[in-house]
Amino acid sequence: MAHIRDLEEVSLLSICREAAREGQKILDIFPAEGGTSVALWGEDGKIVERDAGPGPHERPSRCGFPSLRFSEERDFPPDAFEPAAAPRAIIGEGMHVIPLGPVRADVAEALRYEMDVLGDEIHSLTLRPGYKRRGVTRILQGMEPSQAVEVAERTSGTSTVAHALAFSLAVEHALGLEVDDSTAVLRSTLAELERLHSHLGDLASLAAATGTIVAAADLYRLRDSVLRFGERWTGHRYLRGLIAPVGWRRTLPDVSAELPSLLGTVEHQFQVVRHALDHTNSFLDRLHGAGRIPQEGLELVGVVGRSAGRSEDVRWDRPYASYPELCYGRLPAGFAAGDAYGRYVVRCEEIAQSVAMLRRAGGHAAAATPAAERGDGLGYGLVEAPRGRLFYRVALRGGRIAASRIRTASSINWIAVPLAVANRNILQDFPIIDASFNLSVASLDL
Amino acid sequence: MFYPRWIVNLTKGPAVLRRRAATRGAKAPMPARLFARSLAIRHLDAGSCNGCESEIGLMGSPVYDLSRFGFSFTPSPRHADVLLITGVVTEAMVPLIRTTYDAMPDPKLVVAVGDCAVDGCVFHGAPGVVGNLAEVVPVDRWIPGCPPTPDDLVDGLLALVGRGASAPGEAG
Ligand code: SF4
Repeated sequence: MAHIRDLEEVSLLSICREAAREGQKILDIFPAEGGTSVALWGEDGKIVERDAGPGPHERPSRCGFPSLRFSEERDFPPDAFEPAAAPRAIIGEGMHVIPLGPVRADVAEALRYEMDVLGDEIHSLTLRPGYKRRGVTRILQGMEPSQAVEVAERTSGTSTVAHALAFSLAVEHALGLEVDDSTAVLRSTLAELERLHSHLGDLASLAAATGTIVAAADLYRLRDSVLRFGERWTGHRYLRGLIAPVGWRRTLPDVSAELPSLLGTVEHQFQVVRHALDHTNSFLDRLHGAGRIPQEGLELVGVVGRSAGRSEDVRWDRPYASYPELCYGRLPAGFAAGDAYGRYVVRCEEIAQSVAMLRRAGGHAAAATPAAERGDGLGYGLVEAPRGRLFYRVALRGGRIAASRIRTASSINWIAVPLAVANRNILQDFPIIDASFNLSVASLDL
Repeated sequence: MFYPRWIVNLTKGPAVLRRRAATRGAKAPMPARLFARSLAIRHLDAGSCNGCESEIGLMGSPVYDLSRFGFSFTPSPRHADVLLITGVVTEAMVPLIRTTYDAMPDPKLVVAVGDCAVDGCVFHGAPGVVGNLAEVVPVDRWIPGCPPTPDDLVDGLLALVGRGASAPGEAG
């Protein structure tokens, strides 16, 4: 692996030369950050390399690299959120705007929706985020990695492990270090445990939104049992305070005897709930065709992407931690139809996948190990968070973070929500469509 | 599959209270009780990581079952007795917190949920972060934790209205 030590001004050319000398792919050093594919063209106009998603709708939409020039004072360029929908220009008799939020629903994150409706039909939806910007990349600047991982964990609470892991991988990449096998296995175990509780929670809110409250209650209870298991094992329900660059922050007991019984219960009871939902017409009728993503070729990621024709999944495409040994049973491209039902099915299948992966991984003990070494470098970490592709890039200088960049799945996938909502749906569909996406606002407003 | 637990709860008092009483000992109830029984709660996100919302959402699940205490979430601040605020308090949310608070009828109580709302947690001093809810609205109770567990939340809400662990039989 090539490691870039010169941080004053990262020169694209020198990086490319170094990579070429080592016979390395350049896009292995600078992978696509979000859902956008990156391609590298040769002088003859042919694509030499490309990255992001072998999905059927792949198209190279950006040539060359994202901006790589930065200095210590300057941040990486911020990710501006560009709603795909055109600015609102719908006027006419009977049209009115329904504002919703930022204080909305029963328990929900701060985000403002503005819906143009005619009678019951939603004609357009405008999202207005920005209420909860906490300046995550700003606060990371100047921190030591061991301290910064705590901030990363609190960027998106329900994806704690994914954020800590992506950040740690980025630091390790920058320093040219690797963790031992048992740590790698534990990292995957925690990541799958997180996916399990996150997906169960997403399905529970979907069931609640469709009024199938018995299923919602069962799913919430299953989710809580996974969280409680996490607490018994690691001391934290959301598995915080464990993963760190190179090190391991807490001593863990061996739960390889307990884990299978939890997985057995979750798997069995989830199948019961799923079977009931799959035979409940009032549930299915609300999902089929609701919130269909109309446009093909949107470079969506994660569950939303996989339900809309893409097959991109970092766990298979660029295996990290111990995924090379764990992964099997990949969902085929075009698995689902891109509507709320598609997202429901993909989540159900992924719960089964996660249970199978957790069975393989076991739940080993771990001893706390010292934290990261100091050093300089530039590195990235790419993981599949519960909601999809999560990218961290960090530049280290003198053992501290000089600059960082975070690209979350939600920041990409929110673009699909207005399109899906304003696609021949009525107002009563809105809560269901919103719950079927269940994207994070905290990861949009970093 | 909930019946056995339900029967135990009926005979011995709610599990949450028993757990709390066992781990923390009894708490003195508030001298004056502003609210006798049911409470309508309005949640407000002032810049959280979604961890606190996740735990608040679980309070309604059968494991914790907030509604048996007579508590419920309300979509409108006009019906709310308690404002439950999570997150670091971003500058963009300050006027909205005030508007929501002003829209609530008296008497009203404010609860700060999570380390973020208490002191900004790891985001203390970040640009655009106020980090102290007490500067914006009067706070009646702080429930620390990152995130506080649903048990902590239920406990905090009961203590807020003087129905803490010292009165185990009182299940709304
Ligand atoms: S207190 Fe913790 S869990 Fe709650 S919003 Fe803040 S960081 Fe997230």
